[in-house]
Amino acid sequence: MLLDSLFARRLVVLTGKGGVGKSVVGAALALAARGRGKRVLLVEVGAPLEAARRLGGAPSRGRETEALPGLFTLNLDPQTVMDEYVRHVVKFDLVARRVLASPIYHRFFAAAPGLKELMVLGKIMVLEQANRRLSREPLWDLIVVDAPATGHGLAYLKVPLAASRAVPVGPIGHNARRILALLRDPERTSIVVVAAPEEMAVVEAVELYRATRDDVRIEPQAVVLNGCHERRFSDEDEAWVLRLGTKSESGELEPGVPLQAAVRAARRQIRRRKLTRFYRDRLHRSLDSPLVSLPFLFREALGVDELSTLADALEAA
Amino acid sequence: MAPRRSPAAALEVALATRRVLVTCGSGGVGKTTTAAALALWAARGGRRVLVCTIDPSRRLATSLGKGPLSGRPRAIDLKAFAPARGGSLFAMVLDVKGTFDALVARHTKDAAARDRILKNRFYQHVSEALAGSHEYMAMEKLFELAQDERFDLVVLDTPPTRHALDFLEAPERLLGFLDVGILRFFLRPYFVAGRLTVRVATRTGAAVLRILDRFMGLQFLQELSEFFLAFEGMYDGFRARAAEVHALLRAESTGFVLVAGPQPQALEEALFFHRRLAEKRMAFVAFLVNRVHTDPASVGGARRGAKVVVEPGLAARLRETLHEQQVLARVERRAIARLEVDTRERPVLVPELEQDVHDLRGLAAFSELVFAAAKERARAAGASR
Repeated sequence: MLLDSLFARRLVVLTGKGGVGKSVVGAALALAARGRGKRVLLVEVGAPLEAARRLGGAPSRGRETEALPGLFTLNLDPQTVMDEYVRHVVKFDLVARRVLASPIYHRFFAAAPGLKELMVLGKIMVLEQANRRLSREPLWDLIVVDAPATGHGLAYLKVPLAASRAVPVGPIGHNARRILALLRDPERTSIVVVAAPEEMAVVEAVELYRATRDDVRIEPQAVVLNGCHERRFSDEDEAWVLRLGTKSESGELEPGVPLQAAVRAARRQIRRRKLTRFYRDRLHRSLDSPLVSLPFLFREALGVDELSTLADALEAA
Repeated sequence: MAPRRSPAAALEVALATRRVLVTCGSGGVGKTTTAAALALWAARGGRRVLVCTIDPSRRLATSLGKGPLSGRPRAIDLKAFAPARGGSLFAMVLDVKGTFDALVARHTKDAAARDRILKNRFYQHVSEALAGSHEYMAMEKLFELAQDERFDLVVLDTPPTRHALDFLEAPERLLGFLDVGILRFFLRPYFVAGRLTVRVATRTGAAVLRILDRFMGLQFLQELSEFFLAFEGMYDGFRARAAEVHALLRAESTGFVLVAGPQPQALEEALFFHRRLAEKRMAFVAFLVNRVHTDPASVGGARRGAKVVVEPGLAARLRETLHEQQVLARVERRAIARLEVDTRERPVLVPELEQDVHDLRGLAAFSELVFAAAKERARAAGASR
């Protein structure tokens, strides 16, 4: 149900504090959309460890690269996006090359605050508007953007607003307003906040959600709570485990499996599932938004199979 | 491959002797908590410590269990922890705008020049909300705090950028941005004439200008040239400061603690930071890996004994739970072993806590665990040798 509403738009932007598994959620969303027969582009920004690696595809090297049939990845490097733009503006190759080699260009564009973010968002807007050559149908049925986790989670979403205010007239302001209009258009864009069931992550998710809504005036469509531990033992069994755990119990569950170790593991599971419930309740109370839980995966590696499990969980939500 | 000394000992020595300790790491690895806990430990040991976070989301305040912190150092009450004589703890968050304004005020020659910058629209937006300014100002503030006689040790918590060491180059980048001499040369007539009648010395210069105009428009360029003109005369001061910050980060009294999570990906990033530190000739102190999951079967020794009769469904669920956590512990152990091989450093491992840390007591428990766990590990390693 959640996906019906998310996928009714063609642009899904994920935000959230670092370390909550945003890139994993992004890959799972892309897989779910692919499962619905959509042609999907998963965009990352300057990701050192690309999602393509988890999906079994080749690194994107700045170009849309098909990782699985119908699922493309693109790892945007802000500097490359900027260089591309210069080549687009300057038609003459020789001049473009000299500009790109010039120290003015490098020092200015490397340091001008907000410019990289604006360029990257501009590129995403171009991707959103790209059409197929013959049919004039959109090139991408869905674009999932894994916005970089900066210390200030809103930095990316705030840039077009700040830029449009700093420079109301001229191409910068004009483009900043177009980007802002795209992000704010509930028909075209969904913002999804990703959180994890931990104190800091939840505090920041709530702040991020409210700031997106109140400062940038975009209402996030959903919150994804990643890494959840669900109830596994009945009340009775939990009570038994907790009772046992306080004593140093000897004996074996079965040959080679000490009861003590199993009880210790179970106690940890119980603690985690209680924390999950606690933080889920808090998000429910604090935010008036659909909330989807994704399970914590105990796996050797996170590849297509594991991500598909998460995609299924999203599909079932 | 026997490391020179235990990593906890290295960390403890650093906390007792250095003037600046910077915690670095990607997001969500407990960096702020670690910074606050290490600061508390040093304060309890008798030093006058300031912990400063750049994070605007007031996470440090959350972990210190008090109301919002401000841009001024605030004393934290340590009575409950009976610190050694002279020990005290202060905490603050970075005020980006305030720091930038102060920087401008310090380097301008008079009030008129100062106001010209502070009122420039470009400056107002650049100095405030945008990404990047935080890093510039963190370095600026760090330099100021490192000179502050009230503190023996400054613990700086850094922003969790993906390339978390980028901010270390912030002073140079800010300087590069403000001191684009040729750009100023071009922009001055722009500003004066207000239109594109600039005589340009080179074709490249003309092309750069054309792009700027195409991309940003004339009005923006005027704002920008005003901005650059306003900064005229400040470059020498800025350059001197950038050089000082550069030296401070490489001083013997400064050290870096790399904080990571136990997941393979987080440790890969920690490895990346470690390389960058070496490239930049900055002093690595220790790796600290938070929330490490131990194998439930490895603690306390496997007791053999009679088979305990448990209902089959429950037994299966218990087995599954144990198996999952053993997988998790194994994945983490392997990733940590890889880091040890690649860096020839043994990280301080902090096991996952029973509860999230969000008050002083939790921070104290956390720091005790940091040093206790590490000492125990060193003992075990010594015994096995």
